Amino acid sequence: MPDKVLVAMSGGVDSSVALLKIVEMGYDAIGVTMKLWEYRDVGGNILDDSNCCSVGAINNAKLVCDRLNVPHYTLDFTEVFQKSVVDNFADEYLAGRTPNPCVRCNSLVKWDAFVQQADKLGAAYIATGHYAKVQHLKGSSVLKKGKDTLKDQAYVLWGIPAHTLSRTLFPLGDLTKEEVRNIAREHKFETAEIPESMEICFVADNNYKRFLKDYVPEKMAEISAGEIVDESGKVVGEHSGYTDYTIGQRKGLGLSTPEPRYVSNIDPTNNQIRIGKKGSLSKNNCEVSGVNWLVENISFPCDVQTQIRYNSPVIDAKISQSENQFSVQFLHPQIAVTPGQSIVFYKDDIVLGGGIIEKNIE
Amino acid sequence: MNMKRIYCDISATTPLDPRIGEFLTYLNKHTYGNPSSIHREGQAAKAVVEKSRRQIANSIHAHPDEIIFTSSGSESNNMVLKGVLHSGDHFITSSYEHPAILKVLPYLESQNIETSLIKPDQNGIIQPVEIEKNIQENTRLISVMWVNNELGTINPIPEIASIAKEKSIFFHSDAVQALGKIEINTDEVPVDFLSMSAHKLYGPKGVGALYKRGGTKLEPLIHGGGQESNLRASTENVGGIGGFGMAAELSTSNLEENTEHILSLETYFLNLLNKLNISYTINGIKRISGVFNITFHGVVGQDLVLQLDFAGIGISFGSACASGTVKASEMLVGMGLTKENALSTVRISFGKIHQLEDVKKVVESIDAILKRNTQEVANYA
Repeated sequence: MPDKVLVAMSGGVDSSVALLKIVEMGYDAIGVTMKLWEYRDVGGNILDDSNCCSVGAINNAKLVCDRLNVPHYTLDFTEVFQKSVVDNFADEYLAGRTPNPCVRCNSLVKWDAFVQQADKLGAAYIATGHYAKVQHLKGSSVLKKGKDTLKDQAYVLWGIPAHTLSRTLFPLGDLTKEEVRNIAREHKFETAEIPESMEICFVADNNYKRFLKDYVPEKMAEISAGEIVDESGKVVGEHSGYTDYTIGQRKGLGLSTPEPRYVSNIDPTNNQIRIGKKGSLSKNNCEVSGVNWLVENISFPCDVQTQIRYNSPVIDAKISQSENQFSVQFLHPQIAVTPGQSIVFYKDDIVLGGGIIEKNIE
Repeated sequence: MNMKRIYCDISATTPLDPRIGEFLTYLNKHTYGNPSSIHREGQAAKAVVEKSRRQIANSIHAHPDEIIFTSSGSESNNMVLKGVLHSGDHFITSSYEHPAILKVLPYLESQNIETSLIKPDQNGIIQPVEIEKNIQENTRLISVMWVNNELGTINPIPEIASIAKEKSIFFHSDAVQALGKIEINTDEVPVDFLSMSAHKLYGPKGVGALYKRGGTKLEPLIHGGGQESNLRASTENVGGIGGFGMAAELSTSNLEENTEHILSLETYFLNLLNKLNISYTINGIKRISGVFNITFHGVVGQDLVLQLDFAGIGISFGSACASGTVKASEMLVGMGLTKENALSTVRISFGKIHQLEDVKKVVESIDAILKRNTQEVANYA
């Protein structure tokens, strides 16, 4: 009997082709769509079927599974997703930080939930349509970047529990997005032309300010306009509420300065936004929390390559450890090191681990 | 997968009775006329519709003129609520009705119609006294389902209908889960309206009916041609209606025999569960036979449904839901179950299609899954 593989089906083109690949590899596939949220809890319904977790997306996943004669189930994870991801997303903005909910979902919800479900159904592996690779070696498994450098999603996977790597398959790791779409077209999948989803799944209208107003109306009512100050502390303008801003933002500040100014600090306590010239955004160091290692036996200090945002350039850095605190020193100063975002550590194309940027060390 | 499947979700829908399947094939091929047409083709179609109307009327001791064909039980429910109630009226219904009642309530509210919701007791029964207590001067309609879809419990409809009649209040019952499973006699029970559906009694999907007591006024939901005595416009679903009539006749004429068979399945099911020392609780009393809302302690209901599906057995977690969301049943929690127990609850429904060996396979599979899950928990601990 072939091994069973639980395939995560979002109802999009990537997971459809991931399922096809798993079937072609000879595994006994089971399609599963995780229902993570509902429009009635998060608002923003624009009747867009391409959004994961809508009934339309679930139906698309079912159609593709049915075509490949694979059973499909919808599993409900709305409660844990709300607690671990959606609530945190709102809390982070309220704390003046810029969260990355996809990372949190993979780290705290998806992988654990899928592996548990795989155990229950007697499945040896789980598979997803992420553009990343896992190399299964004797006694250990390593996470690597995918072939498509533009689409690479290893960045959002740094937080998955290390013990789940040996159970994980990424059938799209050696494909580009274009190849995946062409495969879907060749097979006339219902999902072949579904557009890329760039937004956060539960903010379907891509308007996080609207989301915050709908989701935490009372807390948002307390957030008022405040001062914009320059590097010297001089008031240079008024902001509309600190949750409307992110580090490195240039547009929408309502200032007329000869040289462009960027948001360099968000201070919820004093309801203040600080701006500065591009140079003021440059940081040499940052502290990192919630670190997760996907490889064993790392000794510190350790030279690595890092990314501080999804799709940002890869840069050289050194990680140091003192007690349980990790800090990163960049070889060259980095622009817009943003608290709440993920910092991911690589050795060439191997993902060593990652963490959440806490604060810049001045 | 060529495994023989055992479908135990009779409360969600039933497979076609093969005799009805053959009849539908015949009708779809030969009876293509429009029942409103003058020619022979139209006449033949009209005959199918009118024969079915008589079969359904007979099955509930009603007059054929009292049967209106619709597309579904949901449509029949909507028709009564929207066709009877007007601004300023008061409406009484139960909190565990089908969504085709409960999801109409916000609309009614927007029309300035006030609703009182009556909760079931801890046994899953709506008590007539609770209905009586909530009657107001402006109460125009009471609606209580005959058999609850999640629990299979049978409500005291004769008593509730009598209370309504005494106070000159219209009474409607959603009888979708009752028709063909228990006796329904409109001569004896003073109901004004009954909703029915063909696919719950081995008939086709997409056809329902409404019983409307002779002389009772009702506004149509769908305006158009004069079909169904001006109460439900649209060219009749001749095939579906023909199949519904046959389904009603078959299920009521074989009611005793079917019930006896299903009761023997029920007894066997419970005996096997006890014999294997499986820990369970059945929720609700005074149930129709073969329907179990059952809590299996120590397993998550959703997991059990999936693992049984893998083993070739189809059961359900609560009632069927389009979006796939799984939440602890508010109804069960209201009846006093803990949230954990509510999440460990599934619905298994047997019918005339099942044999003792099917029941045996179901219990053995449940036993194996429960043992495997307990083992897993032990491994983690």
